[in-house]
Amino acid sequence: MRKTIHAYIFTFPSIFLTLTLGVYPIFWALRYMFFDYQGFGEARFIGLENFARVGRDAQFWASVWNTFVYTGGKLILTLPMSLILAVILNRALRGRQLLRSVYFLPTIFSASVMSIVFYIVFNSYNGIINQFLMKMGLGSLDWLGAKYAMLTVILIAAWGAVGNYMLLFLAGLQNIPDDVYEAASLDGVNPVQRLWYITMPMLGPVMQMIIMLAITTSLKGYESIMVLTEGGPFGKTEVMFLYLYKLFFPLVSDSASVQNIGYGSAVGFTSALIVGLITFIYFKISKKLSNTY
Amino acid sequence: MLGSRVLSRSVLWAFLLITAFLMLFPILIAVLGSFKTNLEVTTGATLLPSSWQFQNYAHAWTKANFAQFTWNSIFTSVFVTLGTLLITAMAAYAVDRVDFKGKRFYIVLQSMTLFISIGAVVLKPQFDLMVALNLQTTLWGVIIILISAHATAFFMMIGFFKGIPRELDEAALIDGCNFYSIFWRIILPLLKPALGVVALFTFRGAWNEYILPLVFSMSRPDLQTLPVGLANLRYGFGAASENQYLLAGACISILPMLIVYILANRSFMQVNVGAVKG
Repeated sequence: MRKTIHAYIFTFPSIFLTLTLGVYPIFWALRYMFFDYQGFGEARFIGLENFARVGRDAQFWASVWNTFVYTGGKLILTLPMSLILAVILNRALRGRQLLRSVYFLPTIFSASVMSIVFYIVFNSYNGIINQFLMKMGLGSLDWLGAKYAMLTVILIAAWGAVGNYMLLFLAGLQNIPDDVYEAASLDGVNPVQRLWYITMPMLGPVMQMIIMLAITTSLKGYESIMVLTEGGPFGKTEVMFLYLYKLFFPLVSDSASVQNIGYGSAVGFTSALIVGLITFIYFKISKKLSNTY
Repeated sequence: MLGSRVLSRSVLWAFLLITAFLMLFPILIAVLGSFKTNLEVTTGATLLPSSWQFQNYAHAWTKANFAQFTWNSIFTSVFVTLGTLLITAMAAYAVDRVDFKGKRFYIVLQSMTLFISIGAVVLKPQFDLMVALNLQTTLWGVIIILISAHATAFFMMIGFFKGIPRELDEAALIDGCNFYSIFWRIILPLLKPALGVVALFTFRGAWNEYILPLVFSMSRPDLQTLPVGLANLRYGFGAASENQYLLAGACISILPMLIVYILANRSFMQVNVGAVKG
C-alpha cells in the first residue's frame, strides 16, 4: 500500500506533463474544430461548417495529393537503398563499421539546418550543382522550380533517412540465424536468390514494422520542406502538415495568409484521420502479405 | 571465374564508395564553403577554398548573433535532457517495480501519445498554456514542452530496467533502504548505460528541434536557437545572399553533434534501434 503511494509520486511528473501538454491540446482541438475562431475575439459555434469547408478546400486536397507523392517517392528511394546497404554491410567486409558510420551520419543533423545547406547546393541561380553542371557544359536545371522542386525535396528527404532505415534493417538481419544461409549455400543458391527467397521472407515482421514507421514519418514530415521551399513554388511542394502549420502560424514571407484556429483544428483532425486510415489499410494489407509466407 | 569475381567486387566497392561520397557531400560543402568568400561559394565551382576565410566564423558569431543562438541551444538541450532523464527514470522505476492501480492506463497513455498526431495544432494550446504561466518570455516554455514529449525515452528506459535484477532491490530493502534510497543508491548507478543512451537520443532531438523554438521566438527574437536563427537568416540576406555566413552558421550548429558522434558512434547507432524496439 505504501509502495503504491511511492509509485504515484514517481509517475506524477510524467503523468502531469503528458496530460496537460499531450492530451489536453487534443481535446482543445476537438472543441475548436466546431467553432469559428481566428485567434482573437469571441469564438462562435458553427457545428460542422469547418468540415464542409475542408471538403471544398481544393488547396488542402492538393496538399494531401502532394503528401502522397512525397511519401511514395521517399519510400521508393529510401527502402530498397537502405535494405541493399544493410545486406551488404551485414557480411564480413573490411571497413564495414566505418561505412555504417558514414551512411548513418546524415541522420544526426537537424533537418532544417541541412535544408539551408541544400538550398545553397540546389538553388537554380547560383547553386553548387548548377555551377558544376555549367562547367561541364551540361546547362543548368531549375532544381527548386515548379517542375523539379518535389523531386529535389524527395532526394533530400531520402538523404536524411537512408542511414536510419539501414540500421533498422541491420538489426533485423542480425536476427536471422546463420545456419539458414549455410544450408542455402550448400544447395548452390546465388546471392540474388538468397536475397529474394531467404532474406526477404525471414525479414518479414521486421520489414512490416519498418515500412509502417517509414510511411507514418513521411506522411507527417514538413520541417525540411518548410525551410527549403515553404511549400512553393505555386504550392508544388505543399504537404498536408505544412498546410496545417500555416493555418496556425502564417509564414513571415506570406503576408496573404491569416491565422484560422477553428478551421485549422478541423484540418488537423482530418489530416490525423488520413494518416490513421492509411496506417490501418497498410496494416491490413501487410498482414495478409506476411501470412502468405 | 576469378575475373568475374574481381569484377563484382569492384562494382560492389564502387557502389559503396559513391554512396558514401553522396552522403558526405553536403557536409563537405558546408564545412569547406564556410571558409570561402561569398563570390567563391556562388561562382567558384572548386571544392577547396583558394584562401581560408576564418573571419566568416567571427562575423557569424558576433554580427549574425550566433553566440546568442548557440547559448540558447545549449541551455535548452541541457535542461531538456536532464529533465527527461529524471522524469523517465523515475516513471520507469515505478512502473517496472510496483504493481499500482492505473499502471496499464499509464502505459496505454504513453503509447497513445506516440501514435496520435495532429501536427501543428497542439502548438497553439501549448503556447497559450505557457502564456498563462508567463513562461513564453523565456526558454523554459520550450524546455517544458519538449520534456513533456518523453514517451519514446520512457519506453527506451523501461527496456533497460529488465536488465536490473529485482533481487538487488530486495537485498537493499533488508539492509534498511527504502523506495527512494534504492532508486538513488542502487538503481541509478546501475542505470548509467541506459541514461547515456537516452541522453544522447534526447539531446539530439532537442538540439535539432526547429518548429517549437520557432513558434516561441516569433515575438521574442532573443529566444532563437541555432536551427531557428539560421533558418531566419535566409530572409535577411535577399537574392544576393551571403552564403558563406549561412554555411558558417550551419557548421556551428553541426559541429557539436559531429564531435559527439565521432566519440560515441556505436552508442548513437544503438539509440536508433533501441528507440524503435522500445
